Formats: sequence, structure tokens, C-alpha cells
Amino acid sequence: MIEFIDIHKAFGAQRVLDGVSITVSTGRIVFIIGKSGAGKSVLVKHLVGLIRQDSGRIRFEGEDITDFTEAQFFALRKRCAMVFQHSTLFDSMTLLENVALPIRKHLGLKQPEALAAAREKLALVNMDTMADRWPAEVGDGLRKRVAIARALTLSPEYVVFDEPTTGLDPVNAVRVDRLIREMSDRTGVTSIVVSHDLRSIFGIADRIVMLYQGRVRLDGTRGEFLASEDPVVRQFVRGEVEGPMEL
Amino acid sequence: MSVGLIRFAVDEVRGIVELGVRTAHATVRRRPPPGVVLRQAFEIGNRSVFFILVTLGFLGAILNFQTGFQAKRIFGDTSLMGAATLPILVRQLGPTLVGLMVAIRVGTGIAAEIGSMVVTEQVDALRMSNAGPIDYLVKPRVLAGTLMVPVLWVLGTASAWVAGMWITHAAFQTNPETYINFDLVRAADVFEGFVKVVVFGYVIPVIAAHSGLKARGGSEGVGRATTQSVVNASLAVIMLDLVIGGVAFALRFGGGG
Repeated sequence: MIEFIDIHKAFGAQRVLDGVSITVSTGRIVFIIGKSGAGKSVLVKHLVGLIRQDSGRIRFEGEDITDFTEAQFFALRKRCAMVFQHSTLFDSMTLLENVALPIRKHLGLKQPEALAAAREKLALVNMDTMADRWPAEVGDGLRKRVAIARALTLSPEYVVFDEPTTGLDPVNAVRVDRLIREMSDRTGVTSIVVSHDLRSIFGIADRIVMLYQGRVRLDGTRGEFLASEDPVVRQFVRGEVEGPMEL
Repeated sequence: MSVGLIRFAVDEVRGIVELGVRTAHATVRRRPPPGVVLRQAFEIGNRSVFFILVTLGFLGAILNFQTGFQAKRIFGDTSLMGAATLPILVRQLGPTLVGLMVAIRVGTGIAAEIGSMVVTEQVDALRMSNAGPIDYLVKPRVLAGTLMVPVLWVLGTASAWVAGMWITHAAFQTNPETYINFDLVRAADVFEGFVKVVVFGYVIPVIAAHSGLKARGGSEGVGRATTQSVVNASLAVIMLDLVIGGVAFALRFGGGG
């Protein structure tokens, strides 16, 4: 279980998170949603130590990780992986080498052993036949699949997906959604998905947390989300231009 | 100077020193793979050779032309041009000009590359892969810079001196055999120049990497980081040049001339 407790974060004068408290139970797919700039990505990056909060506490499996050092976060990142918005594959490495990097670095394996393990992970996302291609040679959807394979290399208990379907065509977006669902069902991994893609949200979410103005606006199931009478939530669900939601 | 600017300058210096110390510590603890350092050495060194030869060549020609012009006017003699300009090139102008050119050509490249990696979250992805940015990005570039800037200094100084020989012959009809005169160059001059370029080779990549790692907010942030890198690295080269030159002077002459 992961607990964000009263998280505050500002960048200069801009207050992004203003007392966010969320609990994420294991084995579920939890969506963190909200309009662009709502602080969704900022919140989840706190979990893996890529951003440090101004105040508040974070517990991971009961352990307070708020004051972890970078070295301590390295160990935690084996258990909690992250798939970034732009896939972030390294251009100077083949797809196989990209997936092998965390295996080599986290587990201390030699390159040939790491490459063999990476090939198995690529097979999980049906990308093993393209293992020796360069990131620039494949499309966005395939790059995203490789990024997911890279995140799964260390068999994490938690995976954070930062806008996994943004920039993908509808077919590839559905493929990525299915991959997240299958991964959750097959391995029991807990997925925290940052998104504002309504099709994904209603397609695979077990639970939805909506952030608005730096706070939690709604925390519930798909049904509760759809039935909400909150005008801000309703405007978001319907994708309406006019409404109380500020630009 | 406003308080904000002073605070910014202090923060920059503190951040650069901290990154420099952490890079040194990381290098002592574990050396990067030689292949990675060699690739960076090629980028920093080999790819800069043409730029350094041309810019230092022109600057050497200008130096000799202007100095020779004055010498001709005051003394009516340019026979000691080669002997007089070589020590200045070796210990002062060579290191400074090479340092500034490397700050422009190499520093901007490092800042832009690392800055782009920051804003596209590749540095975050590295951290998630247990590959820290200092080990993976900064250390190889700093080692390569420390290795290759002294080489560029030798080539650049030679280029400036040879171009000076050509312009002195063309403008003042000074015989090249007269121009080639090493009598005024001391071992201390060479050592001072060498210390400067080793320091510049370490400091320029550190400053550029620091600017890159601070990049925020897309391509605009990368642009700002690149500009900041040139400003910081150029200032550092000039200031360190004065400090090292001052210390060398004090050690050689006891401060009394």
C-alpha cells in the first residue's frame, strides 16, 4: 500500500499540490486524473524520489520514505518502476540495450546476461523481433511498449504510468491500455496511471482520483465518477468548454 | 548589482563547485568505461580541432600583426617577434583562447544535450534505471575534457604561432628563421599554461553539465541553459586565468617582480 499524506509542493510562486492525501491499495489500477497542469505527474514523481515535496509524508508498504536519500530511492525503484510520458528511450542504444540498462545497473549483471534477460522482457510485449532496432526506427506505440518492457524488467510490485496513451493513435492507445490491464491481471502488479484520456479512464480504471487546484476533488470508482453531481467533475467527464473549471 | 543577481551568482557558484566535487568523488570511486570516455574525447577533442586551429590561427596572426606594427613604429625592428610572443601564447593567450573556444563549441553542446535529456525526462529515466546522471553523463565528459583540452592547447598555440610567423614575414619581411626563437620560453611558462588548460578542461564540462541539469520547461529552458553555460564557462575561464596566473607570478617572482 502507498500513502500520500498531506503533500504540498510549489515551484517558485506556483503552488502545484496543496495538501493531497491519497491511499493506493495493492493489485489495483488507480487513475490520477485532472486537466493539464493539475499536478498529476508531479504527485507521482514524489513516490520514486524524482521530486521532493515541500511538506507532507509518503509511506511505501508502511515504511516512511519521505526523507529517503537518492541511494535509498535506488533500492525502492526496483520495486516501483515508472513509464514516462515520452517513453524516454535512449537514442544511442538499441531497443534491447534500453531494456537491458536497468537490469545491468540494478542487478549488477554483465552485459550478455542482461541482454538475454532483456530479450525475454521484450517478448512479454511482443517486441522481441524488433530488439535490435533503434528507437528512432519505430513508431510511438512501439516505443511505448518497449518503455513498458523496460519498466517490467525488475518485476516491480508497482508501476507508475505517466500519460501512457498521450500522443498515440486510438488503436495503439487501446493496445497500451490492454497491456496495462493484462499486466495487472497476470502479475498482480499495482498500476498508478496519470491520464486525462477519458477512453482509458473508463476502459481500465479500478479507481479514479481527480486532482483540481492542487487538491483531491474526487476519489472513487468509475460508477461514482460518472454519477458525480460535482460541476467540475461533470465538466471534465463531458469535455465541455463552458463550466466552472478554470483554464 | 541587485540582491537577486548576487544570490543567483552565489547559488550558481555553489552548485557548480558541488557538482565538481561530486564528479571528482565519483571518478575516484569508480572510473567510467574507457570506451565511453574515448567517445566523448572524440566529440570534445577531435571535432574541435578544425575550429581551434582556425580561430587560434587568425588570433595569432592578429596578435603578431598588431604587436609587430607597434614594434616597427617604436623600435623599427621586428626580429624578436617570435621569441616575444611565444611565452605569451604558451602561458596566457593559448590557454585562455582555447578555454573560451571550448566553452563556446563544447560547453554549449554539453549543456544542450543534457538539458534536452532533462526536459524530455531521459535523466529521470536514467535515475529510475539506477544510472545516476553524474556517473552516466557528467563523469565521462569531464574526464574527456581534462584529457583533450591540453591537446587542443598544444595544437591551438602552434597554429597561432605559425600564423604569426606567416603574417610577420608577409607584413614586416621578418625571416622565419629569425622568428623561430625559443630563447624566452621557460619551463615555468609551459607548466603554468598546462595547469590552466587542465583546470579549464575539468571546469568547462562541469559548468556546462550544471547548466544542462538545471534546464526546465521545454526547448526554451534548453536555450536558457545553453546561454547560461556560455556565460558561466567564459567567466570561469577568465577568472581562473587571472587566479592561476597570479599564483604562478607570486611563486616565480615572490610577488616582487
